[in-house]
Amino acid sequence: MKTPPATALTGRASPGAVLAKKLTSFGNYLRQHWTLYLMLIPGLFFLFIYKLLPLYGLQIAFKDYKIFAAGDPWSAIAASEWCGFEHFAKLFGSSQFTKVLTNTLVINGLKILWLFPIPIICAILLNEIRQKIYQKLCQTLIYVPYFFSWVLIFGIFYSLLGSYGIVNNIIASLGGSRVGFFSDQSVFRSVLVFTEGWKEIGYNTIIYLAAITGIDVTLYEAARMDGANKFKQIWHITMPGLLPTIVLMLIMKVGYILTTGFEQILVFYSPAVYDVADIIETYVYRIGMGQADFSLATALGLFNAVVAFVLIVGANTVSKKTLGRSIW
Amino acid sequence: MKKPLALLLSLLMLFSLAACGGGGNNQPASDGNQSTAAPSGDKNTGGEQTTVPELKGPGNVTLKRLGYNAAFDPNNDINADVLKQSTGYDVEYFMLPSENADEKLLMDISGGANYDSINISINQWRTLVSQGALQPLDDALEAYGQDVLAGNSENVWNALRGDDGHIYGVPYMYPHSHEIAAFMVARMDLLKAAGINEVPTTIDEFYDCLVTLKQHYGDEYVILAGPYLPNSEANENWVIPKTIACAFGIYNDWMVDENGKVYYMTEAPKFAEMVEFLTKLYNEGLIDPDWAINTESTLKEKFTSGKAIITCGNRALADFCSAALIENLNLSWDDLAYISALKGADGTCTYQSTEAIGWISCVPRSSENLADVVNWWNLRVKDQLFITIGEEGVHFNYDEDGEIEPINPIFAEERGNSYWYLDVTDQKAYEFQWPSRVRKSEGQWHSFSAVTMDADQSIFVPNTFAFMPAKENYAKYNTAIFNDLQDYITQVMSGTRTINDLDTFMSDWTNAGGESVRGDLQGWYDEFYK
Amino acid sequence: MKKKKSAGIALDASEKFVSGLAYVLMTLFALCAILPCLHVVSKAFSKGTYVTAGLVNFWPKGFQLETIQYILFQTDFFNALKNTLIVTGVGTLISLFTSITTAYPLSKPAFRGRKVITLLYVFSMVFFGGMIPAYMVVRMLGILDTYAAMILPFAIVQFNMFIVKNYFEGLPEIIEESARIDGAGDLRILVSIVCPMSTPVIATVALLYAINYWNNYFHAMMYTQSPSMQTLQVYLYNLIQSGSGYLENMAGGTLTTNITPEGLTAAAVTLSIIPIIALYPFVQRFLIKGITIGSVKG
Repeated sequence: MKTPPATALTGRASPGAVLAKKLTSFGNYLRQHWTLYLMLIPGLFFLFIYKLLPLYGLQIAFKDYKIFAAGDPWSAIAASEWCGFEHFAKLFGSSQFTKVLTNTLVINGLKILWLFPIPIICAILLNEIRQKIYQKLCQTLIYVPYFFSWVLIFGIFYSLLGSYGIVNNIIASLGGSRVGFFSDQSVFRSVLVFTEGWKEIGYNTIIYLAAITGIDVTLYEAARMDGANKFKQIWHITMPGLLPTIVLMLIMKVGYILTTGFEQILVFYSPAVYDVADIIETYVYRIGMGQADFSLATALGLFNAVVAFVLIVGANTVSKKTLGRSIW
Repeated sequence: MKKPLALLLSLLMLFSLAACGGGGNNQPASDGNQSTAAPSGDKNTGGEQTTVPELKGPGNVTLKRLGYNAAFDPNNDINADVLKQSTGYDVEYFMLPSENADEKLLMDISGGANYDSINISINQWRTLVSQGALQPLDDALEAYGQDVLAGNSENVWNALRGDDGHIYGVPYMYPHSHEIAAFMVARMDLLKAAGINEVPTTIDEFYDCLVTLKQHYGDEYVILAGPYLPNSEANENWVIPKTIACAFGIYNDWMVDENGKVYYMTEAPKFAEMVEFLTKLYNEGLIDPDWAINTESTLKEKFTSGKAIITCGNRALADFCSAALIENLNLSWDDLAYISALKGADGTCTYQSTEAIGWISCVPRSSENLADVVNWWNLRVKDQLFITIGEEGVHFNYDEDGEIEPINPIFAEERGNSYWYLDVTDQKAYEFQWPSRVRKSEGQWHSFSAVTMDADQSIFVPNTFAFMPAKENYAKYNTAIFNDLQDYITQVMSGTRTINDLDTFMSDWTNAGGESVRGDLQGWYDEFYK
Repeated sequence: MKKKKSAGIALDASEKFVSGLAYVLMTLFALCAILPCLHVVSKAFSKGTYVTAGLVNFWPKGFQLETIQYILFQTDFFNALKNTLIVTGVGTLISLFTSITTAYPLSKPAFRGRKVITLLYVFSMVFFGGMIPAYMVVRMLGILDTYAAMILPFAIVQFNMFIVKNYFEGLPEIIEESARIDGAGDLRILVSIVCPMSTPVIATVALLYAINYWNNYFHAMMYTQSPSMQTLQVYLYNLIQSGSGYLENMAGGTLTTNITPEGLTAAAVTLSIIPIIALYPFVQRFLIKGITIGSVKG
């Protein structure tokens, strides 16, 4: 906690002349574009109050947080005892940790691999449907599943894929043996990927559609005049137009690779498939069961955040180097 | 790239320093609830207050009561009016959410939300007591709660004491002490068609019954569907049907041997035998291949659609399914039979009695209406019959045996939700009144009378730990380790682990707090039963 | 989208192929998505015993309206709907405002401090202080149990802001520059040039925000206490979760044959998602409109 001012000072270590010059040019810029800075205020205001101020509570990841330790939960943060890395030790020390970390990476990796391109293709294809009404209908329909909760989705897919569900009844009537979609370790991950796709694809498509709509139509006209076929148009006009959005979405997906999928897996998995489906968050959920352990939850959140931040910064740098696009 | 990062980090650090300072020096502004007043200093000595607070009386105070989640608006239900009419108190009702109830409760209470009476589960209550969040009730009960005190046994009151010896809650006792709550429902029409005319009563008959059914029906039906895991307090929901476990001498997660030693289910002599029995059923296709996945609704779906022949369940499931089966498949009541606690190979059967505390009501530190809350509780115990059952001739009549027979539909309409409003009962009186609430539905009564009323009373073993007061390790670890145990059993059944793995499981169990829970239980047992 | 006659060139094989593929695939997708939805809606209108037994497929069986009526009239549905509409409406407006005003300066490559502030947003998107401090901030501001508690903490969602910023960055600079030469300031350019050119993204992000507010269960639950402040999601969650317990405690067999937990869930979901889905066609209008404005100006 005492080091930061020192870091701030190192910034000032550059020669004074350069700094002065910079300050003047900044002053000029400010005078010219002060409204731009004014515009930032509302966003920053909410950001500080609701996102940054609560970061004070991150310290309970290193404390044995007792919510009644002082008059109210906020003062209790300061009043609780430090306990070092105890909660992190509980997280990483378990014999299960390697397994759940691997599962997390594999499941979310598979999801990115299979599901990331589909909304992009959907958006491009939807754009090619010429009958407006039909186009609108399709768009609306594929976006509906997003609003279903995982519990409900489990119900739907259980009646399809359960041991005595529709699919298995068909398999059995064709003479095959019933597949335990929810209990067989070799197919369970595919079920996760598929259902995730079913729920999320439509929603993600919307975001790409907005980007496609922003592409200047005259570019297509010109390409057609030059004799470019549809594939060339998609590749040379649509894709570059979508690139910023693709990069943004991909960076986000990679960043959140440790944290996505909790609700889904909690509803879908069972002890029979823990070996392939138990992810970090479901595991921590189980060890903390019935305890309302705020410190452990915070420690996990902090670990996930650090990883996500590193991944996002990394992905952003890679993207900047290779594609020339970045979030900042 | 580097510079902005550094700048950002330093900004944040400065900021968090400021925040730390702010948090340390001045107490965050209270938001109008002066209730945060509960001075932290008196946390440990809070029990020493000697003056009994003054009664403000009905009409002079509005009480705030928080209860568990239910699907109706408690402020607009007729039972709110019934209570107002009976006690004279104005009450505002609140509910915990259905999810994250524990977190919400802790944040609300620690943040000083000004509830006067909160009705919570035993685990939630244990947490609040251990954190010093509740007011001791002894003096107020002495002054204003004589009927409440008289309505429950000394053992129960001892269970509601904190480490300092004060009483911190009042009990709602489970209303029937010898109920076989978990049983199986069987389709007698299908059993008869396969040549079985009587429901099995021993574990061997049970196995033979399943085998016969499998031979007769093959893959057409799920022979035995389960487990039944309704959405409620976790430790009562077992993946091993209790009907089967009782034949192997297993009746609770924690048990006590004849030498007074507390042991866990896994250490029971026949634990391995029981798990192997289940695994055999699973491997031979006698039970649902979806045993690991079934939820309350998938189970109900299988049974009511006629896909399953036998299902695990309880009174509520039997009620629900019988209505649907009679409607969907044109069955009659005679087509439904119940498999009760099964006897073991040696003819023994052990089923734990259901004498236990169901819910606890207590008063948070921030409440300024302790006397009135206790008085309000007491008035309701006095007028219990009217509040839970209603008026004779209007809501119920006494039948020829002197039992209460409800008059429907008015009983259902006007007292259907009264269960939610119960904070504390006169235990004896309620045990007499309660069966009439079961009688309100034919399906519940049909199974209740067949399974519980006809039960062999010798199978019941006492609920040894029913009156154990709040213990820290127990509250902290027991839910999680029981969950691990259930997972382990399921994994053995589905073949991802084996029973030879039990040693690994037990060492994980110890790491997860198993031994410290045992310590709590053994310590209390030795003291209580010495 | 494109008017095929305007260019005067006949559809070539590749266009035919792509458009054929589009029809086939999208129809397939739409069917995949809609059949389970039909299933849910059918359950809401079917006889309870059929619902429990899983006998309802894609059309109501044993048609009944009791479940829907129960939700609409026996309980607090309309109050919850009102709360949600207020939160969603006001919240979306506030969020749009903050997102646009934040995204615009950050989309300017020359904007001084752009990197630091952007990084700050990325940072705060990832790091989260936890449930308790967030709750206490709301509590200390004295807005617990008010609409503000359900709006202000979500007034800016970083990801949505980035989408807007991305779009702004892709706009042709020539138009802005010519306006600047005409003497327009930043604010004026944003209001009268950038925003009109960005209707597709503004509409989309508005939709994303509206969905966010509409679906917000967790915080709406944490930050409210009074039953009268329940939002639709909180109300429905409670109804669904405790539905079975309630029905089991309900006396008499009359109601249970039609109102079952599964039917209740289906009806609740149907009722709660219709309004938010109905928003989408409005957004689609802007998705198409955006093109024309953009191409005219471009």
